[in-house]
Amino acid sequence: MHLRPNQQRRTSRPTWLLMAASLFLAPTALANVSIDDEPAEEAEAEEDKEEVLALVGGEIHTGLGGVLRDATILVRDGKIGAFGYDVDVPEDAEVVDVSGMRVYPGLIAVGSFGLFGSSGNLDDSVDPYNQNMTLALAAGITTAVDGNSVAKLKRGHVDGLVVSSSAFETMSYSNGNPQGQLKVEGDLKGAADYIRAYRAWEQEKKSNKEAKEPSKKGVDQKSLRILRGEVRPRFNADDRTDLLEIAQLAQRYGFRPIINGCREGWTVADELGRAGATAIVTPRTRRPKDESLLREGGSSIENAATLYSHGVNVVVVPASRGISLGGIVGQDLLHLPIEAGFAIRGGLPQLAGLRSITIEAARVLGVDYRIGSIEVGKDADLIVTDGDLLHYQTFVQWAIVDGEIVYDKQAEMFFAHIRPRPETALAPAERMDSGEEAPADAPEEEPAEDAGEEPVIEESGGEEPEANEDPEDPEDPEESEDPEESEESENTEQTAGA
Amino acid sequence: MILSPLLLLGPIAAAPAAPVQGDLFVIKAPRVELGDGEVMEHAVILVEDGEIVTMGQDLPVERGIPVIELEEGQVVMPGLVNPYSRVGMSGGGYNDSRPQVMASAELYPSAAYKAFFENGVTTVGQYPAGQGIPGQAVAVRPKGDSAEEMIVEDGVYLKVVMRNNSSAKRNLRDGFKKADDHLKKVEKEREKFDKAQAKAKGDKKKSSSKSKSKETFVPPPADPRVQPFFDLREGKLRALVSIRNAASYEHLIDAIGDEEFEWHLRVPLTRDIDVFHVADKVGERGCFVLMEPLITLVPGTLRQRNLPAEFERAGAKLVLLPRTDSKAGFESFLEDVGVMIGAGLDRKAAVRAITHNPATFMGLGDRLGSLSEGKRANLLIFSGDPFQPDTKLDAVMLDGKFVSGDMDQ
Repeated sequence: MHLRPNQQRRTSRPTWLLMAASLFLAPTALANVSIDDEPAEEAEAEEDKEEVLALVGGEIHTGLGGVLRDATILVRDGKIGAFGYDVDVPEDAEVVDVSGMRVYPGLIAVGSFGLFGSSGNLDDSVDPYNQNMTLALAAGITTAVDGNSVAKLKRGHVDGLVVSSSAFETMSYSNGNPQGQLKVEGDLKGAADYIRAYRAWEQEKKSNKEAKEPSKKGVDQKSLRILRGEVRPRFNADDRTDLLEIAQLAQRYGFRPIINGCREGWTVADELGRAGATAIVTPRTRRPKDESLLREGGSSIENAATLYSHGVNVVVVPASRGISLGGIVGQDLLHLPIEAGFAIRGGLPQLAGLRSITIEAARVLGVDYRIGSIEVGKDADLIVTDGDLLHYQTFVQWAIVDGEIVYDKQAEMFFAHIRPRPETALAPAERMDSGEEAPADAPEEEPAEDAGEEPVIEESGGEEPEANEDPEDPEDPEESEDPEESEESENTEQTAGA
Repeated sequence: MILSPLLLLGPIAAAPAAPVQGDLFVIKAPRVELGDGEVMEHAVILVEDGEIVTMGQDLPVERGIPVIELEEGQVVMPGLVNPYSRVGMSGGGYNDSRPQVMASAELYPSAAYKAFFENGVTTVGQYPAGQGIPGQAVAVRPKGDSAEEMIVEDGVYLKVVMRNNSSAKRNLRDGFKKADDHLKKVEKEREKFDKAQAKAKGDKKKSSSKSKSKETFVPPPADPRVQPFFDLREGKLRALVSIRNAASYEHLIDAIGDEEFEWHLRVPLTRDIDVFHVADKVGERGCFVLMEPLITLVPGTLRQRNLPAEFERAGAKLVLLPRTDSKAGFESFLEDVGVMIGAGLDRKAAVRAITHNPATFMGLGDRLGSLSEGKRANLLIFSGDPFQPDTKLDAVMLDGKFVSGDMDQ
């Protein structure tokens, strides 16, 4: 625009030839620079050929307490490469604009059936196009326990699903089976004695080379692994007496039990807390107390909250571990976040509610080194939601497993028609070119396109909200002419009227 | 095109008065579907000894050659090729790997084969029954007095059934693994032989009056169960893998791994099959896909899909099979294909999918499945557009002879 008058002025001079030459030189010089730049960038791109996915502009909830607004997550090679505010997005990255949305770690269901088609050897029998898998992804679940395997919901893939093939080491220790209790306790005692003898031998070995290693014969291997801290045993227990006895057993032998059910846990929460227990609870369980007993009992909406406040880690599962419309509607796996929401309703802190279906679930499964939170280096199992994950109105917009988008609400038939995602959220590609100057927000770009005829006004109009970072500021009267601004004022009027 | 009239006129020049040979005749057709999707109007087809010697548009015909003059509106099409049928065969199969089984062993001429040619099917691929890897298919002409007379080509494909389970995947993997084991065994034998040779030579130097040792190494023969896998690797045999859903396709890819061989897909369509998930992947491979002309539904919905059209558009080479492998299925076949055309399947692709493609799939594309010089004179004469429900199949010609219909030679 500015060049044209200059050009005319210069050509009118007698030395126009020289000047013209210089004019031609300038662009070639520029071109040279850009040519030099390009190969360098290409080489860089070739170096890390891995697929890069960038979620830009979202509110990142790490699952560990951190919340980063308008931040970027970079996924490289299926792992979380970086996240934060100063993340350089490579040019060849697949960019998804998630501004206005939230990014959470993928949810983990510690029990499920029917998500992987037939069960058994998952790598050989999974149906990765199974409808239930898609529905579970729509609920935000990216990892689930099937049988005793921890597996990812890698839609369209038949390999690399299994994260761990031993989800739980189940033990039975119930008041209703005293023989069984004796056996468990005997095994634990044998194992404890062995460990003690072994340690003594290790000490003695230093001075006395002829010391004999204690015999492993008759020592229960499972108990040994538990006492060594290699696995945490899972007990199925709801009854107060059972819970109490498990807590005492755990404290006696020094292991941290996982208690599945834990319905009356709120009555013995302090004991369970002291035992370092983790409780897998279903907050919407309803069961009256045994009226023949004087003590407190039965289910409580406050169960999760009470347990948590006494130091018990809480994991939430819905009442039904499948996906079904029969029986207990609204309490199947599709409603895992809702179930966690009910724990919050009963007093559990918000963060603990989120953790109960992410990192705490990963911990009881022993897979927290890979999944369960947004941390650099962990698997890129992420979900993008259009609001608070635990709100009933919220939908999962995208689910990402190992860095691959495996669920897109608008691409599936289930929920696409309910509050369809606005178009602006679908146009990520162009944003990256303008992204060099500043992380432009979607609302700023739109008026720029609309007012394309008057480029000067557009520029000044586009910059100001950028500087303010707050489009609500009605400083400039000219600004209100922008369609975006007028919309906003309308909105405020509406809310005021309501 | 320039040559063909000369060919036709050739006999005139050579022996103008000579009587015409018995098996030479001409069909003049107002409209011919060539099988590759193209159409020739006012076609003249010269047939000798059951083979198309020459064909072209408006070729002059020597006097004396019998001419079958078709009426306006009649359409000629290549005989249909059904590469996947068990009509005429009986008995069940097993659930394990028996790649050495030949379907041709079951073959015997019977009245059941009438169902094929009476409905325009002039070439049939018959496969052995069973799950797992049941064996190899045979291409037959559905008319003949003995099995030998019927067989066009044996071992046209190896049927493999792939499912979402470890035994199906193991069948395939183990087959190639056993082939590898055999190669190792051969290598060992060769080493042993070489050693023995060297030793024999050494012995010869000492005392030349020793018993003769074998001159050349003869590798131990492969187990008949292993040989088909060598044939697959060497490109002598192609596999037809039957899958049930999108998942089994993924498991197939997983089971194949790095192994390279020619394979194609059989996808029996059910009402709510989900193979559309892998349509693009299959299309990228460009393999043959055998499926029925059936409108399916997206699982759990009433949304209709035309999977044959989707796979064809994605790049797969479509082969259409009757909806049921029975007389009733053969009778309604062309009408069913017509429905698919109405629902968006490209018409040319549909013609290819019932003639040229299945023939090519079985490795017979240079002999039949389309109408051009050098191809078998397997052709159908329809009263109109073959895909219209009111069209009648007027006549069926198999190797230059009418085998069905009310037309005389």
